[in-house]
Amino acid sequence: MEFEPIIVGFLCNWCSYTGADLAGTARIKHRPNLRTIRVMCSGRVDPTFVLKAFAAGADGVLVCGCHPGDCHYIEGNYKTMRRMELLGQLVRAYGIDERRVRLEWVSASEGERFARLVDEMTLELRQLGPCKLRPTVAALANDFDGLSRAVTAQVAASGEVTHG
Amino acid sequence: MKDDCRIGFYICNCGTNIAKVVDAEQVCERIAGLPGVACARAYKYMCSNPGQEMITRDIRERGLNRVVVAACSPRMHEPTFRKALEAAGLNPYLLEMANIREQCSWVHDDPRAATAKACDLAHAAVRRVRYHQPLEKVEASYAPATLVLGGGIAGLTVAVELAEASQPVYLVEREGKLGGNVGRADLTAPYLDSARDILAEKIARAEASPKLDILLRSELVELRGFVGNFRATVRTTGGPTRDLAVGAVVVCTGYQEFDATRIERLGYGRFPDVITSFELERRLRMGRLETDDGRIPRYVSIVHCVGSRNPRYHPYCSRVCCMTALKYGHEIKSALPAAMVTDLYVDMLSFGKGGEDFYRRTSELKTMFLMYEKGDPPRVRAAEPGDDCGLLVQVNERLSGEVIDVPADLVVLMVGMEARADGGDVARTVGISQDRQGWFIESHPKLAPVSTATEGVYIAGCCQSPKDIPDSVAQARAAAAMVLAHVAQGKIEVDARFAEIDPDRCSGCRMCNELCPYTAITFDPDERRSSVQSALCKACGTCVAACPSGAITARHFTDKQIFEQIEGVLAWSSSRSS
Ligand SMILES: Cc1cc2nc3c(=O)[nH]c(=O)nc-3n(C[C@H](O)[C@H](O)[C@H](O)COP(=O)(O)OP(=O)(O)OC[C@H]3O[C@@H](n4cnc5c(N)ncnc54)[C@H](O)[C@@H]3O)c2cc1C
Ligand code: SF4
Ligand code: SF4
Ligand code: SF4
Ligand code: FES
Repeated sequence: MEFEPIIVGFLCNWCSYTGADLAGTARIKHRPNLRTIRVMCSGRVDPTFVLKAFAAGADGVLVCGCHPGDCHYIEGNYKTMRRMELLGQLVRAYGIDERRVRLEWVSASEGERFARLVDEMTLELRQLGPCKLRPTVAALANDFDGLSRAVTAQVAASGEVTHG
Repeated sequence: MKDDCRIGFYICNCGTNIAKVVDAEQVCERIAGLPGVACARAYKYMCSNPGQEMITRDIRERGLNRVVVAACSPRMHEPTFRKALEAAGLNPYLLEMANIREQCSWVHDDPRAATAKACDLAHAAVRRVRYHQPLEKVEASYAPATLVLGGGIAGLTVAVELAEASQPVYLVEREGKLGGNVGRADLTAPYLDSARDILAEKIARAEASPKLDILLRSELVELRGFVGNFRATVRTTGGPTRDLAVGAVVVCTGYQEFDATRIERLGYGRFPDVITSFELERRLRMGRLETDDGRIPRYVSIVHCVGSRNPRYHPYCSRVCCMTALKYGHEIKSALPAAMVTDLYVDMLSFGKGGEDFYRRTSELKTMFLMYEKGDPPRVRAAEPGDDCGLLVQVNERLSGEVIDVPADLVVLMVGMEARADGGDVARTVGISQDRQGWFIESHPKLAPVSTATEGVYIAGCCQSPKDIPDSVAQARAAAAMVLAHVAQGKIEVDARFAEIDPDRCSGCRMCNELCPYTAITFDPDERRSSVQSALCKACGTCVAACPSGAITARHFTDKQIFEQIEGVLAWSSSRSS
């Protein structure tokens, strides 16, 4: 049987979650591999969430927010964008292929685009195979504070690299 | 972990909408085995009265203190189920929903995979709800004034309704006069009353109302704040820039007409006797039904669906042009009984009250109807010197299958409606969204047709989609009623989700201060601590994710709640779980 990856999606309430609902209303079929978690704004997506998802067994993480300039909260998604750059470095530091994390913009009217994104990412992850974690990361899965400390340290360190 | 949780789990079949793909019984069985779940039931329609009563009864009789409903999108029925909790005296925030319709049964075909996904989403909801806390709704005041953007028939109607109910209104119109597109029309279909009369009455009432402030040549440049408490910056050309306190905003910016030069074969811009519907309206209003060089036309050809119902331009129907074309047939025949009128149409859409009757009456006036294929508009060329007409319109007639040359002295193009070119700017300014065609999106097409994703911002008229005057006015009055309902209460319940800073954990680094898009965070230099002003905070969570000390909590979106959800969606399905 073919490997079916599980993707954890963080969708902002105003644009992307609405876009995903629209895919439903319009009956735009797509792969059943995404498990969505609603957040108010993509700006809420803490790097810790992403790492937590991998630690708990996700094969990929998809963060969706409003298009730059359209964020319901004025600029939350610009902050997400900056944070996601750091996140790329962060997951690599933990030995996770960067292609397993994606940040995409999906507006409230882009049901079709949302569906295609899920399909695309599912196919890509099928090729990458199951995500295997280093034991140290896996061990952090149930240690909430340890995980966020590790992430904060890593973000602070890589933050200096990008801003320098 | 909450050991004292008694969770009620309810899964909705939604008729067959959910149950035909998701095995609801199986989801129920698996969820019933989770810690803390006191009862798990499947029901045909959870949102119906018996469905809600089931929840209320179980809370009372079984002592439930948490509820999970797996059904449609929370954007649809979260308020409904929250009320069911409240009815049983349980805090409404102790509810969590799993979206297994829009984001599951409607988009997946494979029952096995869809059921597995529904189980995961329900599992996550159950894990999350254990960490929900009772929250109190927060009350904020609701400013009585309303800002109406656009002074067409829709905006005028909203403004007059509100002002005559003694509420202050600012009517902001970009142009130098009120009336919008209706001001460009002559008679209106189907009852042939004069557009001018319809408008004059409304404008007179608007101008007579002491509560109504008409701001012409004005634009909305910025909108800050939130429902009940907006601050609108309005700039008037050659006048002052005002900062207005308003409780609600109603967007009525209407439409613009399709640019007919885009369909080259119609000859618009090349032949002066090819004119648009608006240009014909103008001639009718002036009582000069003639060709460019002042002759009486003997042949008039009317082309339907110009820019509409054509995948290359706009896929939708503009809804008023068929009726308007019939109206032209009628007006032309009454003015020039000898003229021959030909209607080149795709389908004749004369729906609505009085529509079919109008079609029957006008078609009895010996108008000739020829049908062309969608996406294959007729081709206009100059007539030969010997012909007794100025132009020839070549049409691939669908019913006869023949290519027909229709003589014409005047060709009228029924240009469709399209979203205004600057609609995107308006949408961004007021925080609403547009569909693919640029029309503003309502909260729900059937249940909340004039509300938007931004609370306190409403839409009415053609800015939402093409419609005729009766429908525009109906929406306008609906929007006015929505506003009045809130104004009457004078206050609004604001969602209890906002950020909170724990002063004991805050290190005073001030990182969050400038991050907040709403400047809701203030810094106390003496205490060296930051704090959130809950009335300003919109709960985006940006500061929460950024605080290096983990001092900020997003109420109802706490780290713990989201962590539980992450574990919940993965517990059964992940490749490492078994
Ligand atoms: C050729 C033609 C004939 C028609 N005939 C009929 C008919 O016989 N019967 C019928 O029922 N319907 C008819 N209609 C439809 C009718 O025109 C619409 O239903 C009506 O105009 C919708 O009103 P509205 O207020 O929504 O929009 P509009 O009439 O477009 O008014 C919008 C107003 O908002 C202003 N505005 C736009 N953007 C801004 C901004 N950013 N800031 C400030 N102000 C702004 C505009 O200047 C305008 O005044 C016809 C339409 C066409 C194309
Ligand atoms: S109303 Fe008639 S002419 Fe206008 S777009 Fe619809 S079908 Fe075409
Ligand atoms: S970011 Fe956190 S620690 Fe820094 S001031 Fe804000 S709340 Fe305090
Ligand atoms: S959550 Fe934080 S950043 Fe967002 S509005 Fe509230 S205080 Fe500002
Ligand atoms: S609200 Fe969608 S990204 Fe901010």
